[in-house]
Amino acid sequence: MNQRTLLLLLLFLLPGLIPVMAQKEKQKTYTISGKVTDIQNGESLIGATIFILEKKTGTVSDIYGNFSISLLPGQYTVTISYIGYGPVKKTITLDKDISWKIELSVHQETLKEFEITSEKNDHNVARPEMSTFKMDIKTIESIPALFGEVDIIKAIQMLPGVHSVSEGSSGFSVRGGAADQNLILLDGATVYNASHMLGFFSVFNNDAIKDVKLYKGDIPAAYGGRLSSVLDIHMDEGNSKKFEVNGGIGLISSRLTIEGPILKDRCSFIVSGRRTYADLYLPLSSNTALQKNKLYFYDLNAKINYKAGENDQIFLSGYFGRDVFKNNFAGMQWGNGTGTVRWNHLFTQKLFGNFSANYSDYRYLIDGGNGDASAFQWNASLKDIGVKGDISYFTNPNNTIKFGVSATYHMIDPGMAKGTGGSFINQLKVPKNYALETGLYAGNEQRFGQNLTIKYGVRLSVFQNIGPGTVYQYNSSFNTTGSTIYKSGKFFNTYFGIEPRLGILYEFNEKSSIKASYARTNQYLQLAQNSTVGTPLDIWFPSSPNVKPQLCDQVAMGYFRNFRKNTIETSFELYYKWMQRVIDFKDYAVLLLNDTLEGQLRTGKAWSYGAEFLVRLNEKKLNGWVSYTYSRVFRKIDLINDGKFYPAPYDKPHNVAIVLNYKISRRFMVSANWIYATGNPLTFPIGRAEVGGKIIPIYSDRNAYRYQAYHRLDVSATLFSKPKPGKRFTWDLNVSVYNVYNRHNTWSIEFTQDDINPNVTNATKVYLFGLIPSITFNFHFNNE
Amino acid sequence: MNKRILIILAVAFLATSCTEKINLKLDSTYTRLVVDGHIKSDTMVYSINLTKTSDYFSNAPSPRMVNATVSLTDGTNTFPLTETVPGQSGIYNTDPRFAGTIGKNYTLHITLPEVIAGTTEYTASSQLIGVTKLDSIKSVFRTDIGKEGVWQVKIYAQDPPGTKNYYMLNLYRNNVLWSDTINKIAVSENQFFAGNYIDGADVFYINNSHKWETLYPGDTIMVELSAITKEYYDFINQVKQAGFSIPFFTGPPANVQGNVSNQGVGFFAAYSSSFAKTVVK
Repeated sequence: MNQRTLLLLLLFLLPGLIPVMAQKEKQKTYTISGKVTDIQNGESLIGATIFILEKKTGTVSDIYGNFSISLLPGQYTVTISYIGYGPVKKTITLDKDISWKIELSVHQETLKEFEITSEKNDHNVARPEMSTFKMDIKTIESIPALFGEVDIIKAIQMLPGVHSVSEGSSGFSVRGGAADQNLILLDGATVYNASHMLGFFSVFNNDAIKDVKLYKGDIPAAYGGRLSSVLDIHMDEGNSKKFEVNGGIGLISSRLTIEGPILKDRCSFIVSGRRTYADLYLPLSSNTALQKNKLYFYDLNAKINYKAGENDQIFLSGYFGRDVFKNNFAGMQWGNGTGTVRWNHLFTQKLFGNFSANYSDYRYLIDGGNGDASAFQWNASLKDIGVKGDISYFTNPNNTIKFGVSATYHMIDPGMAKGTGGSFINQLKVPKNYALETGLYAGNEQRFGQNLTIKYGVRLSVFQNIGPGTVYQYNSSFNTTGSTIYKSGKFFNTYFGIEPRLGILYEFNEKSSIKASYARTNQYLQLAQNSTVGTPLDIWFPSSPNVKPQLCDQVAMGYFRNFRKNTIETSFELYYKWMQRVIDFKDYAVLLLNDTLEGQLRTGKAWSYGAEFLVRLNEKKLNGWVSYTYSRVFRKIDLINDGKFYPAPYDKPHNVAIVLNYKISRRFMVSANWIYATGNPLTFPIGRAEVGGKIIPIYSDRNAYRYQAYHRLDVSATLFSKPKPGKRFTWDLNVSVYNVYNRHNTWSIEFTQDDINPNVTNATKVYLFGLIPSITFNFHFNNE
Repeated sequence: MNKRILIILAVAFLATSCTEKINLKLDSTYTRLVVDGHIKSDTMVYSINLTKTSDYFSNAPSPRMVNATVSLTDGTNTFPLTETVPGQSGIYNTDPRFAGTIGKNYTLHITLPEVIAGTTEYTASSQLIGVTKLDSIKSVFRTDIGKEGVWQVKIYAQDPPGTKNYYMLNLYRNNVLWSDTINKIAVSENQFFAGNYIDGADVFYINNSHKWETLYPGDTIMVELSAITKEYYDFINQVKQAGFSIPFFTGPPANVQGNVSNQGVGFFAAYSSSFAKTVVK
């Protein structure tokens, strides 16, 4: 890091530190700090509100449940509240530092199944944070799902500003970004491919997940490496009070989760598994070739949570999942693995630290031509090893400083194919890539008086290519003219990025505020994928001497207003994004097993803008959201579409989502969602030529046409077992219907030559899912 | 090779998907010249077919490009081509004594009687590459793939070492061309077996449930192995992909890249071939 950057970092920190020093001169303050947990299972509560009545100010607990607030000595009334939980109220005389352990219990009037309450915090209005959406797993579970499989990614796709790239796909576009511009984190470890079964299901097993937060913009300085969004997913920590078994049986898969204390109140664990069993029916098929096919996936999640002392907590978590497909001729396997070790430490009541080491891995393997002379095996993988340290310093009620550092070592094996069993196939190896990605950030959240809060920070990102590596030189027509080979351990290329982040909050009153934000992000690792839907054959490739980092600047502003004691949150946000050096691929690009992949890239710029309206309901009986988004996204890349700008594949201007959940009684709940989106833009043939007996299409400009609009209604109903205090076994039964009015939404359009008259061409629409009913049974058992 | 596996995977999963014919209104585009033809190193008559593009849903045979002046040069010699039925057919033939020479570069010159896409002059060039000897072929029936099994046709030949080689394979069944559209033609590059003896590579897969095109014991089959240029290899691959639009595997649709100048469509190819026969058992 050079001196200028250091200076810049200091400059950003100073405004936060000055008031600290200044205040020491004036009057002593005392600190109230503590940790908020759930009394039933000991899990920390994220985002609980700590409110000082007299001061009309407060704070929120961080992702480990910790909070800290400093005040002048005096008499205070403090309330600690959290959605769905009964609030705690304390009256204190503050004349020394105070440390609390707050245990909140589920609101008496609400069952655990409905984490809905009449009391709700005012984050929507009062936090200097915009363009985010947080959902707990209960909300996600109440959304009707395809085949009854609760799916986090499919729930995310219903948020304003988020588009699915195609029906049934786990890929999503955030505010016009590409699917590989989303950083998906599972307990801090990157998940590179969130898809099972070509995307029809996502890799996150809801039984093992606690909550999910999506940052569409205003991305905190602590995160970096992707242009468009961060999807931060936290796994359940396990019940530290009692043993529990949760499970579910559905049409596609079954789930089983065991959690409980290893040491009561000190150490807990959770282990969760899921496996599909569609292929278990295959032996019943009359088709003998089909009987031996295999087609399934599974997921395993595990986490251990250990409270080493008052000030230390250690987490160990991991995920492993695979898709397996096999028939007599070919086989294929792919999946992710992640691992995280995390240590949270309270240095003082005002200084929290959390330190972690992460591992993440995505790989696939293909076996082909089994039993033939051309039998081959093909492997590719991507591995990350990273460390991270984050410090939060609650300097005083008006300033919270955060800073940290992270380093990730990427090991990319783009692919190796070789013959197997005496096959005449050669070994073909694409050179591996190694790179180090480092980040250094600092920021402060500063309050100026009652109404104004400014959050400012900067992230310095560094990306370095490390040998061994082969770098090809290309001429202006993208043909190789030579190559340079770098030795092992040599840092042969370095990119720096300075990424300022800024957020402004102005509160008019308790009910309404305006916010604005700016964030710059850099992306150094991207996906070589030009299919619209996404396949398991993901190859990530790094920035290099030939590939400059992608860059995005986003500005957003919004108006936020809450109604009816914060139970109705509304927001209106506008954004504009400028993206530079975005990547597209040449026509008929060859991306797999290609050592000159970089010659297939075409880079240019993209821009997107939009308006998002959101009404989010958190009433006692009714919850969910209604949103409308207008958004556009275009690309302009020199050698694509003759250099003319064109709509990106996920440019869908109008989007409506209605997601509602209504609790009719303690035992009965109904949910429905309706989504509407303008059809995907497409390139269609507008002329034809006849060559070699086949009609060759002559295409329109890139993405000049559109599919018909996409819309769909899903409904579900859930029946719960009779609530009785102290009951050890509870269950629920969920019946859902996907695509209730059986709309044939276009998945693709194929143009084919007629079999009978080869002069005739036909357009055929392919749609995936008509009306699909499903049923899921869930059960819960505990030992008390 | 890899795409086929993906297709098997997708088909297995997309069993629930459905299709229906739809009516689409599409715009028109300007007319382009279409060239379709090849020459080889054997002495015989070769035909070059000239047509014009039409609207995508015109649903009629392509309009013929008649009364053009067509000739072929190899740098030193010029060989004129004549329209089979002058003013009607749009098919232009070489002299029956014509044969291409391995290693030479052939250019087709076309002068049109009318302006198409702003010009009347078109050219297309291709190098004629020598081919390795196809030693033998074999057919094998596999019962464990597909509903009613699959016929595999295997080839045996030496891949010449030291170069990137591109192959095109055509199949004849009882002396009738089986690979009668580009979709059925097989192409391969030697990326995976450079310099090796091709010891029984499966080049054709014939679905036995397709009764109209499957093989029967006693059939005589013949494979034609041709060495082609990279440009022609890419062209065939792109034609095979065009219109095939399962969103998993294809990038955004794009115009097929041929070798005809001035935005002409199609390909003029030059190549040499080697043949081998067998009787299906």
